[in-house]
Amino acid sequence: MSDRLRLAAIVISAVGIAIAGYLTYVHYAGISPVCEIAHGCEKVQTSEWSEVAGIPVAVLGLLGYAGILAALFVPGETGATAAAGMALVGAGFSAYLTYREVFTIEAICIWCVASAILMTVLAILTVVRLARQSPAALSTARAAR
Amino acid sequence: MTAATPTKKDRRDQARRARLEREQAEAAAAARRRRFTRLGAVLAVAAVVVVALVAVSSSGGGGDKTAATGSAASSSSASSLAGVQASADLLKGIPQDGISLGSAKAPVRVLEFADLQCPFCRQATLDVLPSVIKDYVRPGRVRMEFHALAFIGPDSVRAARVAEAAGRQDKLWNVTELAYHNQGKENSGWATDATLKRITGAVPGLDTNKVFAARDGAGVTNALKAAGALATAHKVNETPTFLVGRGNDLKATDAAGLTAAIKAAVGS
Repeated sequence: MSDRLRLAAIVISAVGIAIAGYLTYVHYAGISPVCEIAHGCEKVQTSEWSEVAGIPVAVLGLLGYAGILAALFVPGETGATAAAGMALVGAGFSAYLTYREVFTIEAICIWCVASAILMTVLAILTVVRLARQSPAALSTARAAR
Repeated sequence: MTAATPTKKDRRDQARRARLEREQAEAAAAARRRRFTRLGAVLAVAAVVVVALVAVSSSGGGGDKTAATGSAASSSSASSLAGVQASADLLKGIPQDGISLGSAKAPVRVLEFADLQCPFCRQATLDVLPSVIKDYVRPGRVRMEFHALAFIGPDSVRAARVAEAAGRQDKLWNVTELAYHNQGKENSGWATDATLKRITGAVPGLDTNKVFAARDGAGVTNALKAAGALATAHKVNETPTFLVGRGNDLKATDAAGLTAAIKAAVGS
């Protein structure tokens, strides 16, 4: 079960890296994202909320996904805890950014929303994995003694 | 065939099983406690980090939210105006004349058509123009002209009038730089007199009172009309558009192609 959760989390992180990578490229190239459904990407990506202390949020997202992916390959509690922690931060901050999109910028960037959804799913998967994995891991550790 | 009465060994085994079960139950309970503590800790740490990110994000860039002035560093979080130092450094010592930036003897002209509210114009100003100004305008190889278009909304008009009026004191480029650094949301009413006065007030050597006295005058109105007419004549239909060339032999490009177009025109 935990293995399937981990596999799903790995796949989602990889998709997240692709989206965040694309948005990072778009941010630095100064071009308009491919955005046929809702024409808000340019507005969102150039808004004052697109950077945190000078770092584009797309880059933060890219680092976040990469960090989660790396943590998923770290065995044991440390890896599971780190992945869950990073995914929770990502999901929380994505929720805030989505709120800004809807209520302050009044424009929706579908790529950003897609990333927010991925991050939320990732947070759920990694937290469930952390919650499920630990007792089993602990009891096996004890039984082996 | 098993005996009905438990032997000594059976009793011992049973006792041991009971002990093992008890131990396992205790271990499981301890693991559960530990798991909840750890989940709680992860949640708490994550919440703190999110709150910190949100705090940094809300204070950065939000020109109207930060009250503290003073530090004129280009960092957007500390000062109320972003880019004060960066734009002063970028433009320092380069001759300005009305809407022009750079030596009058420069062989190549670059005409920029831009709306001070347009986010892509902001992007071009922050990402592309610094190297263009440093590499071509400062050494006297290119002279730039800023033609203010005001088509997005009332904020465009207010900002364009102030920039144009600053051009009467040969400081238009300082104002447009700062306006882009501190650009607000489109048509949000960000270009208030207070914000524009903070911008003009941050430009070294610019008389804010004179700017605001001139901004509604016929001179400024006619200059903006002329910019619009020039844009129409050159079929400029998006911002930012740059016309690059020598004399009146001008070619249009967007921000992404600007540096290449300048290189071609300069011949290096």
